[in-house]
Amino acid sequence: FKTAVVKAKINNVLKEELSNMFYNPEEIPYVTKKIAEAIKTRVKECAFDRYKLVVQVVIGEQRGEGVKMAARCFWDADTDNFAQAVYMNESLFCVAAAFGCYYY
Amino acid sequence: MKPSKMKTKEDTWKSDELLKHIKAAQGDHADDSSKKSRERKRHKDEESVGTSDSREHRHRGRERDKEREQGKERVRNKDKERDGDRHKEQEHEKVRKKKNDERERDREQKQERERERHNDRDRDKERVQKWDIDQEHSTDPRVRIKDKEWDTYAEKHTKRGHESERHRDKERDRKKERDKLQEKGTEKDENGNQRPKHRQKKDKENLELEMDEKYERKERKHRERKEKEGKSTENNEETKEKKRRPSEFRDEDYDRRYKEHKDHGPHDGHREKREKERREPGQKAGIEEMERKHRVRKDKEDGKKQRHKDIKDSAVEWKDREWEHKDREKRDWERKEEPQRKHKHKVKKERDEKERRGDYTEEQSVKRKKERRSIQETTSESKRKGSTKEQIDSQKKPTETLTEEFVEGEEIAMESQSTIESSNYDNDFEDYEDDFEEGDCEDEEVEQEREEIPARQRAELEAIQKAITAENEQVRETRTRSHRKTFNEEPNRDFENSQTRGPARGTFIDFAAAKQREIISKVASKQKKRSLELLRLIDLDFSVSFSLLDLPPLNEYDVYIKNFGRTNTKQAFVQCNEDNVDRDIQTDEIETVEKWTQHPGEGNLICGGANVSDALSSVAKNVDSRRLTNFLRSACQVISVLLEEEQAENQASKNLQSKAASLSVSDGCSQLNTNLAFLHGREVLCLHFSPVQRQILLSIHSLPKEPGVVQLASSYMVCVWNIWEPSAPQKVLVCESEVQCCCFGPDNVISLFAGTTDGSVVAWDLREHSIMHCSLQIGGQEWTFRTPTFSTDGVLTVVNHSCAVKAVYPVSSACFDNPGVGLSLFSSQEGRSGLSFQLATLDESGLLNLWVVVELQKADFAGSLTDLGLIPGGKIKLIHSSSIEVNSFLPRNLVQLGSPKTLSIRFLPSDPNHFFIGTDIGLVSHGTRHGLQAAPKLYKPQINGARPVQVTCIDFCHFGKTLFLVGCSDGTIRLHSVITERPIIQWNDSTQGRPIRAVAWALTRPGMFFVLDSASHIYVWDLLQNVSTPAAEESLQPDRITAIALLGDPEKPGASSGLMLAMQTGAIEIQYLMKHWSEPHLNELETLHYILQKTA
Repeated sequence: FKTAVVKAKINNVLKEELSNMFYNPEEIPYVTKKIAEAIKTRVKECAFDRYKLVVQVVIGEQRGEGVKMAARCFWDADTDNFAQAVYMNESLFCVAAAFGCYYY
Repeated sequence: MKPSKMKTKEDTWKSDELLKHIKAAQGDHADDSSKKSRERKRHKDEESVGTSDSREHRHRGRERDKEREQGKERVRNKDKERDGDRHKEQEHEKVRKKKNDERERDREQKQERERERHNDRDRDKERVQKWDIDQEHSTDPRVRIKDKEWDTYAEKHTKRGHESERHRDKERDRKKERDKLQEKGTEKDENGNQRPKHRQKKDKENLELEMDEKYERKERKHRERKEKEGKSTENNEETKEKKRRPSEFRDEDYDRRYKEHKDHGPHDGHREKREKERREPGQKAGIEEMERKHRVRKDKEDGKKQRHKDIKDSAVEWKDREWEHKDREKRDWERKEEPQRKHKHKVKKERDEKERRGDYTEEQSVKRKKERRSIQETTSESKRKGSTKEQIDSQKKPTETLTEEFVEGEEIAMESQSTIESSNYDNDFEDYEDDFEEGDCEDEEVEQEREEIPARQRAELEAIQKAITAENEQVRETRTRSHRKTFNEEPNRDFENSQTRGPARGTFIDFAAAKQREIISKVASKQKKRSLELLRLIDLDFSVSFSLLDLPPLNEYDVYIKNFGRTNTKQAFVQCNEDNVDRDIQTDEIETVEKWTQHPGEGNLICGGANVSDALSSVAKNVDSRRLTNFLRSACQVISVLLEEEQAENQASKNLQSKAASLSVSDGCSQLNTNLAFLHGREVLCLHFSPVQRQILLSIHSLPKEPGVVQLASSYMVCVWNIWEPSAPQKVLVCESEVQCCCFGPDNVISLFAGTTDGSVVAWDLREHSIMHCSLQIGGQEWTFRTPTFSTDGVLTVVNHSCAVKAVYPVSSACFDNPGVGLSLFSSQEGRSGLSFQLATLDESGLLNLWVVVELQKADFAGSLTDLGLIPGGKIKLIHSSSIEVNSFLPRNLVQLGSPKTLSIRFLPSDPNHFFIGTDIGLVSHGTRHGLQAAPKLYKPQINGARPVQVTCIDFCHFGKTLFLVGCSDGTIRLHSVITERPIIQWNDSTQGRPIRAVAWALTRPGMFFVLDSASHIYVWDLLQNVSTPAAEESLQPDRITAIALLGDPEKPGASSGLMLAMQTGAIEIQYLMKHWSEPHLNELETLHYILQKTA
């Protein structure tokens, strides 16, 4: 699971989807799902055949509050990995993380 | 037959066929089973088919109801029909039942066999009868069900009625057959050898009869089961024959088999319980029905392969059905036989048991398999009225089943009593079927797997299994097709190809789903296994946590900008050109120079800076501090003097003018301010100028006549004046005793010495700080009255003067200027070194003491223990050097008259080794401190001979240094040369006989001197003008002049010169001499010498 490759993909997705986007609480849920799906398909293209993918997308409104996100994984650190990218503009921030678990 | 019918049936019979098929597969191993047994099973299967049908057509309840009514009618008809068969046995039914039960129980329990034995014959009959009953009951519902089904079909096909009739006929036939068989069975039983033994046992077990009744029911149940087993064996046989259609019944049989299977393997009890459960809701239902169910179940258990026949019977073809009916009848017949057969077995068993009773209690499960076989065998045997060997085997199974079904038996008994067919029948069935539905799908495959085990054991089954699988596949295929089509096509195909492919559609969906589920579960289990294995290899951890996002809160400024700033604007600042600053200065620039300084200075440089000249100046400033202090000291004096003069001019100009005329020789005068409280009323005894600093004046003041200051009243005073500061004396010295004479140190004015009338010599150090001395506030001004630093009073008494010190005189170093005098080298050196010089003091007795003035390097404020005359903190002390008896220089003739008093002493200015002492005999003796006696020992007046004339004063001329004047108390003035004994000139009567008090050579002019007589007259002599008489004579009348001193510097003739006059009132006046008196004439000294030679 190559973090750099996946991260680039995620970044691309985020840019495509979120550029010129403003935080709108009604449509954001759909956007998150859409992004998650997009990331999943993109990552799948990378041909990590034996990897199960988990994609998590969080979009929040930016109003000056501090946000802290962390993840903890119960996995095999030798094979499993994750990639994460952040997109921010004036009205929102988006954190997308893709976790890849090797399927033996 | 008619394909249309077949199709319709297939709809309903699919599951049955499947069941049958499976049963056939299982029952294959029971290859030996006879056709009769097969028929029996077929009969049973029909029942099961009926159930399945009922299930499938549940929704057609109304029709069913009608059918049921019809069925009941039929049953009644059947009963009527059967009555013929029955009536024989009716009488003994009850008894038979009991006995049958007992017998079965015995069979199984083996303890009660003997009891049963005696009933064997009866029992056999009874059994047959009962079987008939059972069959009647069992068949009735079956038939009825079939009827229902048929009715449903009848809607489509009108033939139904005929078929049912046919069916009834078959049943009748079957019963007949059964009866026949029963009869045969009884015969067999009777033929058995066991009876007598049984009886014996029975006698023993009579006690247990009480229990029998209870067991009867169970036994009956067991019997039923046995029958089923028998059927199963038969079915197995049938399966071989009728393999063709196993699939039709499979589903149903499968379900049952599954349930039974579960229970069957380990414990039959479970199965029985389940049966119980099933039955319980339908307890009221007819015994037959229950039994039938039971049987059906047992069919599944025992011979699962037997199902096929049922399918045939109930399913596709009417022909088959009819066949089945026939078979069923046969089966019934066989069933009747079975108990008999079993009984035989029992008997045989009992026989065997005597030999090996314990064995029966052994593992039942193992036996069971054997039993199955044995049962099959027995069935086959029963046909042939079997051989005894196989019976032994067959016995085992009944025993087991009996024990297992004890509990069940009771219920069954209850059910048996209620022979009426209950309305619950259908419900029961439905429940039952529901159970099947639930279980069948899931367990189908499991069943198949299970079947393989016996299959392995018996290779014969394999073929059947293949067929089953083939069917299954077909079933799946058909499932894919639309149902309608399958309905139409499949049965045809099946029928054409093989009977096994009958209507196998009923549970298609369930079956597939089950397959899927099975597959899923298999996969799941595999995955589970795999995961377990993998987990061993993989280490999972969650120790690391990842920070996905850390967005810090905005600070206030950002928030502000975000809220209030315009969008897309940002505050920023830029730095301008830093140098681009304008400044205006209105004032001139302040010049600044960097300097450095250091304190204390090292070497010459103590400060410096950028400016070189400053550095140089700083170097120049580095002066000898000693010189600086000297300069400052003198400068201070000058400055103070200047200030004083300015003040004096302003104040006392009148005084000066008024007194200007007082002296003819003077052109002005000034007064020292002696009008001070502590000086008031004191007579000035003596005046003395410092030879070094001509402006410094000493004045000795006597005791005041009227004490002005009490503290100082008893003290004599010495004042140090600077004549240019006339306002006040510089220093005021006090002395306890009367000061006769005083003088400064030779080269400076820092020390002052005085001789007192009591013979002490005192010294003052003028440098001492004022705090060492007493200070008094007098007249609004503080005065320091210095006490002597050193005094010889009381100390050095050995060498000290014992009488009044008449003169004190420092041995001047200046005298060493003359190289002709050699002995003064030491003293000169001393004098130059500072305060170390010699001081000569002369007292009246002619004792000349020489003191060495020593300056201590360090002052001792605690006071010195050795130098008692030294004031604490004083630094100057006198050390006695030598004593000279001046009178020894006088000629003896003079000394004979008495030791003359020595009144004054003068050292030769050019050679301090020589001193001249004036005596009170008119003579001046000449002596030296050391060395040979000088040439003229005495200086005599012109008139020879000693006279009592006091030589009051001696004064050397400051020019030429060889002339000196001697003033005498008789008024004569002599002018001597040091080299001649006689005077050059002697003036005898210049003062009219008044004693001369003082003579003083003028400091600036060699040929001029001043004379003061006791009458306060001052005579001014100018030898150049007039040798014989004084040039002028002055007198100050109102006051008496007590002392005079001359002011002036011989080396500076142009300087002002004056005459200091000390008055008796205490005033001190300065008479400034007029120019022509003070300024020396050209070659005056030579002229003087000339005149003197001429006069001499």
